[in-house]
Amino acid sequence: MTAPPSEWRRLVADYLGLVGALVALIVVFSLATNHFFSPATFRTIANQIPAALLVATGMTFILVAGEIDLSVGSVLGLCGAVVGVALVKWQWPLWAALVASVLVGAACGWFNGAVSLRWRLPSFIVTLGMMEMARGAAHAVTKSQTQYIGAPIEGIAATNFMGFSLPFLIAFIVAIAAQVVLSHGVFGRHLLAVGANQQAAQFSGINPKRVKLTVFILAGMLVALAAVIDTSRFQSANPNAGSGFELQAIAAAVIGGTSLLGGRGSVIRTCIGVLIIAVLNSGLAAVGAKEEIKRLVTGAVIVAAVIADYYRHRLGKGRTT
Amino acid sequence: MKLYLQISFGLLIIGGLLVGCNKPAGESESPSTGKPRVALVMKSLANEFFLTMENGAKAHQQAHANDYDLLANGIKDELDVSRQIDLVEQMIAQKVSAIVIAPADSKALVPVCKKAQEAGIVVVNIDNKFDEAVLTASGVKFPFVGPDNRKGAKAVGDFLARKLKAGDKVLIVEGAPNAFNGIQRKLGFEDAMKAAGVNIVSSQSGYWETDKANQLVAAVATEHPDLKAVLCANDSMALGAVAALRAAGKLESVLVVGFDNIAAAQQLVKEGKLFATADQHGDQLAVFGIEYALEMLKTKATPADRETPVDLVTAESLSAK
Repeated sequence: MTAPPSEWRRLVADYLGLVGALVALIVVFSLATNHFFSPATFRTIANQIPAALLVATGMTFILVAGEIDLSVGSVLGLCGAVVGVALVKWQWPLWAALVASVLVGAACGWFNGAVSLRWRLPSFIVTLGMMEMARGAAHAVTKSQTQYIGAPIEGIAATNFMGFSLPFLIAFIVAIAAQVVLSHGVFGRHLLAVGANQQAAQFSGINPKRVKLTVFILAGMLVALAAVIDTSRFQSANPNAGSGFELQAIAAAVIGGTSLLGGRGSVIRTCIGVLIIAVLNSGLAAVGAKEEIKRLVTGAVIVAAVIADYYRHRLGKGRTT
Repeated sequence: MKLYLQISFGLLIIGGLLVGCNKPAGESESPSTGKPRVALVMKSLANEFFLTMENGAKAHQQAHANDYDLLANGIKDELDVSRQIDLVEQMIAQKVSAIVIAPADSKALVPVCKKAQEAGIVVVNIDNKFDEAVLTASGVKFPFVGPDNRKGAKAVGDFLARKLKAGDKVLIVEGAPNAFNGIQRKLGFEDAMKAAGVNIVSSQSGYWETDKANQLVAAVATEHPDLKAVLCANDSMALGAVAALRAAGKLESVLVVGFDNIAAAQQLVKEGKLFATADQHGDQLAVFGIEYALEMLKTKATPADRETPVDLVTAESLSAK
């Protein structure tokens, strides 16, 4: 794709702030510690973020549609629990357990979307309900016990191509594909239109309900994929897995400039948001910061990023993607 | 956020009402048989450990159905202090004979338990010991029946120290910073490490969670490439630590210990990936408290605290079974 010079300038303006913040964090932590700036750190971060990338990608789509999903953390716990129980208790083959998990994720997404659209309920409330139901279900299927899986699932996270783990490559490809769909695909255009102004979109022949339902189901499947990856990484499924994950995913999207009001967002920028949070977590742990400091700093970075985005947005005069 | 809180609160109240409605009306009055009614007020039933505790208590009640009736209740998560206070008040209103409580907060639950005692209810404290200073200030005393977490953690640490030399670097992964048992375990680990002259390079909280501990251990292991051991305040975090070290290829050179002896951790101990953990006999903890309460109802005396055993779990002790 050859972009005209003005578009390049806009791209630079769009990403400069975020990438600058990321680089600044890396520089600060590299100076404050002995070994932060090392291949090991970046390998570690690449190993940790795939699940967060996938969930945040789904969350970006949902936010762009003008909805929200508070259930992703619990659904992640449930999908992981399904994998664990299917492999350990029911002795299913790996592929069957994975299919079951993705189906459960899709079903949760479908429920979120279908209920909030059918009765015109705020997705905030419906997914809050799902957050409780999915967590309850995760505890029900595992009887609240962490399922130790071990070798049968180890392969997924342990597979490497050219130094990159399979989960990282999956997350990378999904994020790129999602960005292409969002900024260049028909579905992406519909999604942005629905999020920006649902009525106007409807008048121009788009079916907003179908677009939103698709996004909820898609996000549910991405959560399931994330659950599979984390289950493989830990070789175990904990019914409490993913608690608080929804806020982390929303924070990443918001740091990346996704609007909570819909109609605006970018997957790549969300991914940088995920990276900022990951670098922050990793760096603060390497420094050995006190717990209260960690939370203060993380919260402050989120607020600062949103303020920065306000200025970027004003300078860019309300661009859509 | 406020709305979020209000809604969660609303749901909790509705949930509470539903639970209340499920009970047959006659049960709130003392049964004609005159059997004592013991209320077990637990912490988070989302936590495998407390669920084991409650199941142990239920099994005990079934075996002694002629001796007492059991009313078991728990809260959604360990931080939901106000809900637990409400539970104790409900138990007072139901005129139970005894309350066996694992307080979610070692200070905030004292006043309501004092109220229970003044209403003539026997109160026994299990799992998480009430704060001495607050007890003295409010002029009450409740016998404590439970393990000494500090001693247990020290035993785990001492066993680990046999494999370490003076000056070796270790990391402590703490529980939630406000949890009494977490603090005790940290102190126990410190006692053992100091006695062995081991260097604690960092001590940070993993908030009892697998993925938080995973991030933390990965970052610290990179920052201190010569790390020799990781001491985790519970087994869920030990699972995260093992995953982080496996990903970094350091599972051979860094030893991990945990606490609680959950089933998944036992597997890791058998496979040699987890060096040791501690068993505080969760299934018996509530039972000890109940037996104590029944004894107090019979003798009308206020006996002293009773310490329950904490056993070291290692590959040897597991193969000996």
